[in-house]
Amino acid sequence: MASWLLAGIRLPLLLGAAALIGYAVFFASPYDLRVLTLCGIYALLVLGFQFIFGHAGAVSLSQATFFGIGGYVTGILATRYGLPFLVTFPSSIAGPALLAVIVGVPVLKLEEHYFSLATLGIGLVVLLLAIQWSDVTGGTNGLAGIPAIEIAGFAVADRRSVLWFVWGVVALACLLAHQVTRGLHGRAYHLMRENREAAASLGLNVAELRFSAFVLSAAYGGAAGALMAHVIHVVSPENLDLTLMVTCLTMTVIGGRTRIAGAILGATLIVYLREWFRVLENYYMIAYGTVALAVLIAAPYGLVGALERLRVFLFGRSTAKPPVMTTGALPAAPRQSSVAAPTPEPLLAVDDVALAFGGVTALDGVSLACRQGEIVGLIGPNGSGKTTLLNVMSGLYSCQAGRVTFLAHDITAAPAYAIARLGLARTFQHIHLVDELSVLDNIAVARAGIDGGGLLRAIGTFGRDHRLDAARRIAWAAADRLGIAAFAMEPCGSLPYGTRRRVEVARAFATGPRVILLDEPAAGLNEQEQIDLAERIRSFGADGMTVLVVEHNLVFLAALAQRLICLDRGKVIASGLPEAVRREPAVIEAYLGLDADVPELALTEPS
Amino acid sequence: MTFLQLVINGVALGAAYALVALGFVFIVNATSAVNFAHGDLVMAGGYVAVGLGALAPLPILVLLPVVAAIMFAVGIAVALVAYFPLANRPPSTVFISTLLCGIVLQNLFLVLFGPQARAAPPLIKSGIVHLGGIEISIQALGTLGVAAALIALQYVVFMRTQIGRRLRATAQDRQMAQAVGIRTSAVIAATFGFGTALAGVAGALLANQFFVYPTGGISLSVYAYIAVVIGGWGSIAGAVIGALMISIFQVVVSAYVSYAVATGLLYVSLLLIFFFRPQGIFGELVQRRV
Amino acid sequence: MSIATRTLPSAINSHSRRRRAFAPLLVGLGLAGLANGAANAADIYLPIVMPITGFLSVEGGSQRNGAVMALESAPGGLKADYPIFDTGTSATGAATALDKALSSQKAVAAAVTIFGTEMVAMMPVAAEYKVPLLTISGLAKITESGNPYIFRFLPNDREIKVAHARYVVEVMKKTKIALISDTTAYGQGGFALLQEDFAKLGTKPVFEDNSIAPDTKDMSPLLAKVKASGADVIVLHSVATPMTLITKQIRSTGLNIPIVNSSSIVEPTATALFEPAELAGVCAETPSAPEARPTPGIKTWADAYLKRFGLEPDGLALGQYDGVMMALTLVAKGAKTPEDLRAALQKETYQGVAMTYKSNGHGDLAHDADIVCWDGTSRIPKIVAHYAGDQLVLK
Repeated sequence: MASWLLAGIRLPLLLGAAALIGYAVFFASPYDLRVLTLCGIYALLVLGFQFIFGHAGAVSLSQATFFGIGGYVTGILATRYGLPFLVTFPSSIAGPALLAVIVGVPVLKLEEHYFSLATLGIGLVVLLLAIQWSDVTGGTNGLAGIPAIEIAGFAVADRRSVLWFVWGVVALACLLAHQVTRGLHGRAYHLMRENREAAASLGLNVAELRFSAFVLSAAYGGAAGALMAHVIHVVSPENLDLTLMVTCLTMTVIGGRTRIAGAILGATLIVYLREWFRVLENYYMIAYGTVALAVLIAAPYGLVGALERLRVFLFGRSTAKPPVMTTGALPAAPRQSSVAAPTPEPLLAVDDVALAFGGVTALDGVSLACRQGEIVGLIGPNGSGKTTLLNVMSGLYSCQAGRVTFLAHDITAAPAYAIARLGLARTFQHIHLVDELSVLDNIAVARAGIDGGGLLRAIGTFGRDHRLDAARRIAWAAADRLGIAAFAMEPCGSLPYGTRRRVEVARAFATGPRVILLDEPAAGLNEQEQIDLAERIRSFGADGMTVLVVEHNLVFLAALAQRLICLDRGKVIASGLPEAVRREPAVIEAYLGLDADVPELALTEPS
Repeated sequence: MTFLQLVINGVALGAAYALVALGFVFIVNATSAVNFAHGDLVMAGGYVAVGLGALAPLPILVLLPVVAAIMFAVGIAVALVAYFPLANRPPSTVFISTLLCGIVLQNLFLVLFGPQARAAPPLIKSGIVHLGGIEISIQALGTLGVAAALIALQYVVFMRTQIGRRLRATAQDRQMAQAVGIRTSAVIAATFGFGTALAGVAGALLANQFFVYPTGGISLSVYAYIAVVIGGWGSIAGAVIGALMISIFQVVVSAYVSYAVATGLLYVSLLLIFFFRPQGIFGELVQRRV
Repeated sequence: MSIATRTLPSAINSHSRRRRAFAPLLVGLGLAGLANGAANAADIYLPIVMPITGFLSVEGGSQRNGAVMALESAPGGLKADYPIFDTGTSATGAATALDKALSSQKAVAAAVTIFGTEMVAMMPVAAEYKVPLLTISGLAKITESGNPYIFRFLPNDREIKVAHARYVVEVMKKTKIALISDTTAYGQGGFALLQEDFAKLGTKPVFEDNSIAPDTKDMSPLLAKVKASGADVIVLHSVATPMTLITKQIRSTGLNIPIVNSSSIVEPTATALFEPAELAGVCAETPSAPEARPTPGIKTWADAYLKRFGLEPDGLALGQYDGVMMALTLVAKGAKTPEDLRAALQKETYQGVAMTYKSNGHGDLAHDADIVCWDGTSRIPKIVAHYAGDQLVLK
């Protein structure tokens, strides 16, 4: 208990919370109670916004719209139809969530700026409706006379009760947010934010993650809007306009985009700033804007991040303890027993695949196949289409002709995450790791898409997270295979490049693949690291895994590959045993140009 | 009023909007930063014109270079406050810092000039010109002329001069630009300066017929954002086309349906464009399947 | 490969509530202390809660000036404490601002916003604190919903629109009306009322449009439609800026039919944007027109206002001045508590600068309106008609 309290900034935050609760109970005037209630409502709004903006990393500009719709649903149902709170409140959550479901699918497919503008556009349409459809919404004047909260005959009307009620809802919302973002599900969001392709190639359904984040943010927004309607008793178009969106964004960024404490801190700070400065008349908003800007510049990762940095500065980092571990059990890798003889049918086959980008032909009828247990090298000069081919195989690109088959499934049109879940893993030229997470957690993310369960499972998990523990055990074993178990608890941001590369390979390995595609794994490694990595990859092969390695470094490949395929300008120009391929005139020409007078590429085996 | 007259009116308004969008897309291109104070900077230009007009009662055409120079300096100031301290953070942080700058600017206007609408002196003089059956105000003609000249100038500078090459290089790949010896901080500051100068000129042009007031900026920021996205993120021609599209909806379409319906149609068209052409009119389609 | 068993550090985020530190507590106590200190120096506390920033800052500034002028020269030697709280032209902001104003000290009354939606949000707060609100907001429903704490010192929109409609139909004898409003709360409310009034007067507009956004710049589509409808008068109800643009742009298209506006254009800050010639043929309804200085009393007041603020006054400032002055006069006469003041405001008659004020039982104290017209030679209009009492009611 003591160690839990002393970790991070929990203790000062809890003390602050206790002080504020004491203040609310004993010292607060009705005005103070109103302000604290508003803090709660905005905290709820920001908590919701954190799902799509903080966790999923998408700048949605419709959070205020969801808030406003929630308010209007409550307003319309309560004042025009006299429906009770127990009907209006769930409806105010369901309404915006429904809108998010309807627009979410097309809108989330858009690239970041277009996504933001599309969400803004939806907000503008709703604002227009709110203003013009006066028969239903009351027009710019809005709807007045929204009653106080009443549940089964008990009115929550006086300020103190309203305060506890609102913060009770906020507490539940915090709990839900915590559940959604803990464990594997939460770590999946981290990686997805860092790089969507890397996440998808580990079997994470990025579209689904973003969609569920969007709908959750809408639900929270609607709940906050409904509560605001009950507190102010009026709802009008200002509840869904751009000014409110700006306020929400400011609160989120200043508080901390992904931290539950940040939502509360950010909302509270901005509300109080505005209240303190209100007496300044003309200078009110100038003071507010300037101070908010100063806070933003001083703490660009949010107040929670700044407080934590301060704590580390004053007291040093609390030491993280290594996890509960038993002997690592690797995931369902090809069993040792099937090492005996590679089966004749190819596990992975590419059949006459073609792809052009605008006028540039990247792949021009490429065919190749990998059999079980093989280690195949894919070489070729720059621009020959090696990475493009990998992207087609792993589902990140769609080819325009041809077929890709994996384990007897036609995966040509399959989405990347499905391909990964079937058992095809890959690494990337540019390493994408989550710098703030430990090595162990970075690798453990690999299990999130495969046996992590979805959103509902995450919400229902209380107490010890067994799935996370299991994932970490597998991650530990994978780290051990790559020789980085000693760094398990280090945050990835502080590691040297060679170690990061091994983390990335371990991560791909931890998905338990049948086939693994490595894209220039040796790039940037020194000679010792290269030898070490080649040895480890060889051991994968010995366990029965099929490996396709894209490389420029023929020395690295020489020790490793049983077979080489050479690409040039999107075509396979040579294929076969490494020695033979190296000597092929076409290959030499591709690398060194016509008439190159080189007897042979004399490559010696590394000792 | 004939259809042609409405189109001319729409294009005249669109010329001013195009200048606003142009300044916006400059800054976007150089820094990937969405400067949501841009509309308020347009208002700032208008206020500068109002202030200069009170000091020296000359036609704005003469004062325009002064307005542009002052706004250039303001743009650099905004970059220093809202962009450089946050340059290594996610772009959405700069989005917010510029929004906060905008709030401060709006309220500065309130304190310095009062809340009421103000009009700037005309570009050349007031009055209407009749060409065939079409009427067009001298102000609108002047705006069209200035906008066309500035767009042409922008093209020449960007494509044909060394400064332009440096700007483009920094926009495309900042690290490479640094590697070849370009002082990218100075280039970025200059880009903010140019973009803001364009905004200021647009403001000075708009302030005669359509007035400046403290809260007038936010809708212009939204229009610029819409124009740049419809046109294709980063495309300069696209930004101009997007701006014209907005003004045509506002002036031409709303002559045949109510203003509210015309506005609604604009937003719906926006969303449809995303549906059918998710990269905008001139944008590059990014192959992406996740 | 066995590792000593230890427990994993659990998630950084806990699901318990977090709050900011002691600052609000300290500042709250500090402010309360300051307020207490201030209260000891003044006889009464009458805060001003109006939109100083935001969309309605012109109107809010005017009414603030009127209130300040009254409070500075409170009768009976009263010393008043009157801090100004900005509502930001926002309903949520207004409710919170009024809350702040009324909770820091015991207020005898508060001078509050012109913005209807903000008034609606403030009404429950006034009822909670039991403090009368002195406003000039025109939104009809604030005195029609049974809240006894609302006192209005300009004729409400329902009444003043009758003057507007009557002048057009009965005096100007126009039958082909183009009715236009913007989408602000003020605009939408007035539009609906004018439609009703024209119907009661037996005429239907040939053209109606209530969808003009207040930031619209080019009004030519609207004017094209007006021309096409063959209207012989334009009736316009909107806030100042779109009204100014429409009025100016109509004249520049050569359409010279008369324009009868709502009072927004009578604000001197609006007429300052016109050349006098552009205002020929333009009229407006207004509760009072102090810049025209029609009576000696108004002249004295207007000159004092000009001296104090360096600006020409408008009807909003005058109405707010009269309202606050009435309250202060009643307090000086003995209505020291908010409840006493409320009862007195409901009962008493007061001779103000602009008109005589007496409540109709619901909190509407002003029942006079003028129609003013410009003749093209000056920015100051002349009063051409006056409506009062029953004339402002249509059956």
